[in-house]
Amino acid sequence: MSGLDWGVLVGTIAFIVLYGVWKTRKAQHMSGYLRADNTERWWMMGLSIMATQASAITFLSTPGQAFDDGMRFIQFYFGLPLAMVVLSITAIPIYYRLKVFTAYEYLETRFNLKTRSLAALLFLLQRGLSTGITIYAPAIILSAILGWNLTATILFIGVVVTFYTVVGGTKAVSQTQRLQMAVMLGGMLAAAIVVVRLLPENVGFSEAMAVAGTAGKLNLVDLSFNPNDRYNLWSGLIGGFFLSLSYFGTDQSQVGRYLGGETIAQSRLGLLMNGLVKVPMQFLILLVGVLVFVFYQFYAPPLYFNQQQAANVLASSAAPAWQKLESESQVAFQEKKAATLALVQAHQTQDQAGKDQAALKMQQAEEKRKDLRSQAQELVKTYNQDTDLKDTDYVFLTFVTQQLPRGLVGLLLAVVLCAAMGSTASAFNSLASTSVVDVYKRSLRRNASDEHYVRASRWLTVGWGAVSIFFALFASQLENLIQAVNILGSLFYGTVLGIFIAAFYFKRLAGNAVFWAALLTQLLIFLLYYYTAIAYLWYNLIGTVLVVGFAYLLQPMLPKQRLPSPAP
Amino acid sequence: MTKGDIDPPPFFKSWTSMYWLVLGVLAVLILLFYLITEAYK
Repeated sequence: MSGLDWGVLVGTIAFIVLYGVWKTRKAQHMSGYLRADNTERWWMMGLSIMATQASAITFLSTPGQAFDDGMRFIQFYFGLPLAMVVLSITAIPIYYRLKVFTAYEYLETRFNLKTRSLAALLFLLQRGLSTGITIYAPAIILSAILGWNLTATILFIGVVVTFYTVVGGTKAVSQTQRLQMAVMLGGMLAAAIVVVRLLPENVGFSEAMAVAGTAGKLNLVDLSFNPNDRYNLWSGLIGGFFLSLSYFGTDQSQVGRYLGGETIAQSRLGLLMNGLVKVPMQFLILLVGVLVFVFYQFYAPPLYFNQQQAANVLASSAAPAWQKLESESQVAFQEKKAATLALVQAHQTQDQAGKDQAALKMQQAEEKRKDLRSQAQELVKTYNQDTDLKDTDYVFLTFVTQQLPRGLVGLLLAVVLCAAMGSTASAFNSLASTSVVDVYKRSLRRNASDEHYVRASRWLTVGWGAVSIFFALFASQLENLIQAVNILGSLFYGTVLGIFIAAFYFKRLAGNAVFWAALLTQLLIFLLYYYTAIAYLWYNLIGTVLVVGFAYLLQPMLPKQRLPSPAP
Repeated sequence: MTKGDIDPPPFFKSWTSMYWLVLGVLAVLILLFYLITEAYK
């Protein structure tokens, strides 16, 4: 990395952190620290909501996913705008009327303490573990490609985020996130423009799209209905709707963003801004991945993008086999390049027969390359202890570091770090607020001073920061656990959403029935996961329906409930 | 804060129009993406 890149990277990160700390340096009380004193404007909340969802993996994995699988991942976000509308109509007015600090407080008002505690604990468990991965995942990729020390990278991200979140609370999270979003969007837009400019002279945007379309990468909408298929229009609209309802309506890392709004109208506008901008933003990120794919049709890509794992194979007895695969891959690439150039020419001369012929040759050469890559993957699996074989996560950063001009490399690395910091800060802030409001203040120390709870929030932010850093540092030895944590996260959302849907819309349901229905549903979701092949997006719908259904069945069998105790 | 206190959104007379804007943009995007998919199939 050049001096200019380091300058851009360090300057960007330092400016954002110092700005956030300076803007929120004054002593705060609990409402200010956890709810930003209800001073946030809609556009700040919108940016904060988007920055919370956009983790570093969004900017590393998503272009790689488009490179490998095309743009069909966009369908995952189709349910999101629908959820934003529903939450604006229903959840926001309720949360504001009750003046809650966390989403879970409402559950005690509506049901009882144990249902509130169950939802809060499910959130703390899931978010507490997954935040470690939010730090670990970009750190491992940055260290593999740039040779940075993994431990130092994890400590840098974790400590810096903990520092400004402790100092400024929700306000600092929001102040830094708007700058982080500006860097992220600006960086990705610059990357998209530069990729097109790096293509050969006779290949413009139109030709690039023709190449991508021929390779099947512009598969944005799939109308077929298959519950085992992860991404199609229906799983995106229905499953994505329930996932978004759950994530934005019940996950404190998101609810905390819009509870800081000046008014109900401002919070609504913040959510609706997310509904308007999210799909085009994901389209841009996926488009960058597709353009990188087109770039590598004209310039030879490495056989394997994770260079560290490739180096391990080259240092082993399998080196000759690897080198043979590399030279065969070069031959396949040259065949594909010739076919791609023929396709471009046929596209420019509107020669349909020529296009069909070139497309067939491209497909044959791609099949050959895919076969060589799977042979390479077998070698990587044999000669690497690290079982993480998702090579596509390394595509975008490899492209950035090897092909982009100086200065832009630093900016794109700043994009990745900003994304990691933005989502981690929201997670620390929400973990601290849930721990203080739903556990410490509610069940352990009910009548302390405001200053005491702010101090507790600060210490709990430090605590959750330490837990996440610790988990991230040891994550490399716990690959299977990481997978388990990611899966567990997606399995919990349906149950938590079911509890909230029952609370919002089914007025006849009481707390006891919902509590036991939630436990039963969670058990069933685990069984479904182990014994069926249903795509995970559907668990959100299944979980929600089961909680409400079981609650109706259980209610007549359970003893009549006492009135819920008042919320603090 | 009660329901009566909710300010109207900017540029629109009611929140319902605002919601239709969000849903309309989504519908247009899905249609556009579908046309792109079909055009390059």
